[in-house]
Amino acid sequence: MESLSRRKFIQRTALAGGAMLLLPGLEASMLSDNSSGNYFLKEFGIDETLCQKLLAKALSKGGDFADLYFEYSVSNYLGLEDGKVNQSYGDISLGVGIRTVKGDQIGYGFTQELTEASMMSAAATASTLCNMNATPVVTSFNRLKTGNYYPVALDFNGFPANSKLPLLQNINQKCFGLSPEVVKVNAGFQSSAKRVLIATSDGVMSEDLIPSGFVYASVVAERKCKREQSFYNLGGRRDFAFYTDDVINRVATKSVNNALKLFDAIQPPAGEMPVVLGPGVTGILLHEAIGHGMEADFNRKKISTFSTMIGKKVAEPFVTIIDDGTNLNLAGSINVDDEGTPGKKTVLVENGILTSYLHDKISAKHYGVEPTGNGRRQDFQNYPIPRMRNTYMLGGTASVDDVIRQAGNGIYVEDVSNGQVKIGEGDFAFYVSQGRLIENGKLTSPIKDVNIMGNGPKMLTNIIMAANNLEMYHGGAGQCGKNGQGVPVSFGLPTCLVKSLTVGGTQQKGGQS
Amino acid sequence: MRYNSNNQQEFQELADWVIDQAKKAGVKDCKVNLSKRRFVEINYRDRKPEVIKEATTQGLNLEVYINNRFASQSTPDFRKSTLAGFVTDVVGSAKIMEEDPFRTLPDPKYYAGRTTNDLQLADPTQDELTPEQRHAMVKSVEDSCLEQGGSKVISVEAGEYGETHEEFVKSSNGLVGANRTTQCWTGASMTAQDEGDRRPAGYHWVGCRYREDLPSLQEVGTIAARRTLDLMGGKKIQTETLPIIIENRGVGRVLGGLFGPMSAGNIQQKRSFLTDKKGQQVGSKLFTVQDNPFLPRALGSMYYDGDGFPAKKRDLFTQGTLNEFLVDWYYSRKLGWEPTSGSISNLMIPPGTRSVDQIVKDLGRCMLITDFIGGNSNSTTGDFSVGIIGKLFDKGQFVQNVAEMNIADNHLKFWNKLVEIGNDPWIYSQTRLPSLVFDGVVVSGV
Repeated sequence: MESLSRRKFIQRTALAGGAMLLLPGLEASMLSDNSSGNYFLKEFGIDETLCQKLLAKALSKGGDFADLYFEYSVSNYLGLEDGKVNQSYGDISLGVGIRTVKGDQIGYGFTQELTEASMMSAAATASTLCNMNATPVVTSFNRLKTGNYYPVALDFNGFPANSKLPLLQNINQKCFGLSPEVVKVNAGFQSSAKRVLIATSDGVMSEDLIPSGFVYASVVAERKCKREQSFYNLGGRRDFAFYTDDVINRVATKSVNNALKLFDAIQPPAGEMPVVLGPGVTGILLHEAIGHGMEADFNRKKISTFSTMIGKKVAEPFVTIIDDGTNLNLAGSINVDDEGTPGKKTVLVENGILTSYLHDKISAKHYGVEPTGNGRRQDFQNYPIPRMRNTYMLGGTASVDDVIRQAGNGIYVEDVSNGQVKIGEGDFAFYVSQGRLIENGKLTSPIKDVNIMGNGPKMLTNIIMAANNLEMYHGGAGQCGKNGQGVPVSFGLPTCLVKSLTVGGTQQKGGQS
Repeated sequence: MRYNSNNQQEFQELADWVIDQAKKAGVKDCKVNLSKRRFVEINYRDRKPEVIKEATTQGLNLEVYINNRFASQSTPDFRKSTLAGFVTDVVGSAKIMEEDPFRTLPDPKYYAGRTTNDLQLADPTQDELTPEQRHAMVKSVEDSCLEQGGSKVISVEAGEYGETHEEFVKSSNGLVGANRTTQCWTGASMTAQDEGDRRPAGYHWVGCRYREDLPSLQEVGTIAARRTLDLMGGKKIQTETLPIIIENRGVGRVLGGLFGPMSAGNIQQKRSFLTDKKGQQVGSKLFTVQDNPFLPRALGSMYYDGDGFPAKKRDLFTQGTLNEFLVDWYYSRKLGWEPTSGSISNLMIPPGTRSVDQIVKDLGRCMLITDFIGGNSNSTTGDFSVGIIGKLFDKGQFVQNVAEMNIADNHLKFWNKLVEIGNDPWIYSQTRLPSLVFDGVVVSGV
C-alpha cells in the first residue's frame, strides 16, 4: 500500500470530489479495515507515542481523563437547477480536538494543523481547566474492536464527480416526465467521507471511516395559478452503489406526487384533537418529544423533565422505545461514538417503563453506569455530548385501519419537516408538511403546513394504540441540532394514535375564522 | 495568544498567488476569500467552570469560472505546497460542470461606490481581556441570575464568548475587500422548579461588536432569571382569536418568513409567494422596513455584500408596500433584472412611541408572545405555523403564563393585521426590530 505525504493526500482527496478517479493506493487506504488503526499513522504520522505525549500534556495539570479526536473529511455537493448540473462545492476539514475532563467540567482546544507544536498548544489550552498535579496516562493503547454498520465498498471520494452527474440529470428528466404541472426541479447530491481516530487517556484507540450522503429532489408544481412545492431525499451512511435507478425513481416520484397532492390540501381546524402518526419519518415526534429529554446531560443537570423518572411508568405497556447506533446504513448509525465507546442499542422505554438515559462518559460516571455510546460531536472543533442516533418505537398489534378508525375525528400525519423541544418544560413542536383529515374514522381531505404542539411526558402516556408496521426514515438529510452542533440522525415509528395534541390551524373548531 | 495583525498582508499575498495559479491552470475568472477566526468561550454552571474553549480557525475558499462552468471549494490549509494541488482540483471540478451562461463573476462596474465611513466593526480592546477578567464577567452574570432566581433555581449556566474575525476577498476582475470584525456575547440560562415535573428554562443573551456597549452584567443575569420566572405555570388556554404582541427579540423569526421569498433565487425558481407583489400593498400602513448597513458598531453592518457590491441603505417596505427584492448577481442575470443585493444587513422598523406595558393596558384581552417553538413557513404559498410561549393579559392585568400553543396564518394576511409598533428595538441582533402588535390572530390551544 502506498504511503502518501499529507500534501499529496489533500490534493488527491479534494480532486476526487471534483474530477477524477483516485489512485489505487489511496482508495485502498481509505477503505482499510476500520479497526486497524493505521490510517492516521500512515497519512499524518500520528503514532501512539505522539498520542501519549498529547494526552500527557492535556492532563499535565490534572483531570479525570483526556481524549484526542483526529478528523479528516472531504465533502462534496453537486447541484442541478434549470436542467443543468451547474454547481460544484467542496470542503476539506482536517484537525484534532483535545479534551480534558474533570468531573463534569471540560477544557477544550483544537487545531487545524497536525504539527506537534500546534497540537501541544491545543492540549495546553485544554489543560487550563485544572490546577493540580499531573494525571498519569497509559503507556499503551488497546485497539477497539467494533461492529461495522456501514460497510463501504465504493467510497464517494473514490468516484469522479462526472459519474454523479447522470444521477441528477435522471432525477430532473423523471420529475418533468411525471407531470406536465411540474414547473421547476432542483436536485442535489451531497456526499462526504470522514476518517476519525480517537485516543483516550484510559488506553482506547479506535479508527473509523464514516460515509454520509443523500440525493434529493425539490419540485415546484403549478395548477391554475397556484403553486406548491415538496422535497424528498434518500441516503444515509451508504456508499455510492446505493444510488441506483430505483432510488432515483423513488426520489423523483415521491417529490412530484407530494407536490401534486398539496393542491387539494386544506388547513385543519385549530385546537386539541386526536392525532394519528403515519409510519416512518413521523418518528421525529419521538426524537423531539422524548429523545432529547432522555439525553443524560440534561438529566444530570436536573433540567430535563425526565430527570426523576427512571424506573417509573411513562407509557402504556405496549410502548418500547429504542435508540440504536447499530442499524445498517441509517444516518444515525455509528460503529464507535466520538469518545471511543462502541455503537450500541439502548432501550429507553421498555414496556412502558423508563429504563435508561442516553449517556456519554461524563454522565455515565455521574450515574455510575456504562456509557451507552451516545457521546457524539459535529466535528473536531466541538467536544462530544449525549446525542441520539436512530430513535424508534417498536410496532404494536393493531391494524392501520383500526388505529385510524379509533381516532374518530382528528388528523393523520404523513410527512414532517422539522421539530423542536423545550427540555425543562417537555413542550415540543413538529411541523407537518403533508397529512390528511380524519373524519368519522376515515381519511379524507389532504392537509399541509401545520405545526403540532404537545408536552413530551404527557404525549407519551397518550399513545394509546400502535400498528404492527414500524418503518425507519431512510433519508440522509436529517440533522439534529443541539448546543450549536449538528449530527446526522434517523428515527422510526409504527402507525400510532396519540389521544390528544394541539393542532395549530387558522380556523377555530366550528368554522369561526 | 494575541490576534495576528499582519493577517491582511499575508492574505493579500496569498490571494494574489492563488489567482495567479488559477490563471496558469486556464481559469479566466476566479475569486478567493481568506479568513481567520479566533475565539474564546467560557461557561459556568453552579459556580464552577463547565467549559473552557479556545482556538483559532482559518479557511480559504476559491471560486472558479471557466467558460460559464463553476466550482467552489474550501480548505483550511494555507501552505502553497498544498494549495497548488488544491487549485488544480477546483479547476478540474469546474471543467466537468455543465455550461451555464449566467455563471460569471459580477460585472466590475458594480463593485464601485463603497462607503468610506468607518463602521467601527472591530473593538480595538478585544484582545486586551485577560482570562481572569473573562471568568469574573461570567461569575458576575451567574451571581445576579442566582440571586434573582432565588429558591426556584434548579440550575444556572452563564457564559462569555469573544471572537475576532478577519477576512480578505479578491477577484480576478477587480474586487478587493478586507474586513476585521469583533463580537462579544454574554448571558445566562436558568432552569426553575415549577409545579410537578415541569422545569421551565429561560435565557437572556446579549451580544455586540464593542465590549463597552454591553449592558451591565448584573442586569444581564437578573433579566435571565426574570424571564425564566415568567415561564412558571405556563398552560394552554382555549383556542380563540386575540390581539397578539410579538416581543421585539422574536419579531425577526416571523419576519424571516417574508424575507426568504423576497430573494431573487426563490422568485426565479418559482418558490416565492411574493413574485408578483412588487409595488403592491402586502402589509398595513404601519409596516415599513429598512435595511441599513451603515449603523456604526451594529452586528449587521457591512461595507460590501456577498457579491462584492457596495452595501446600500434600502427601503424594503414603505407603509406596507413591497419596494424591492433581494437580487444577487447570478439571479439578476437569470431574471434579466438589475442586481440590488442578495444580502441583508441591519433590518429596522421605525419604532413607535409606546412601550409594551403601555400598549397592553389598552388592548383588552391579548397575548404577549415572548418565545417561539418549532414551526415553519412555506415560501411558495406564504402559509406559516409556529408554536408560541407567552403571557395572557386582560385589560392590562396579567392573567396567566401560556405555553404549548400555536399561531398560524398566511403572510399576505398577517402583516395587514399589524396595528401598532412598540418603542423598543432589540439592538443585540442584526434584526433590530421593535415589538409588534397584530389584531385578530387565531391562537390555538385547547
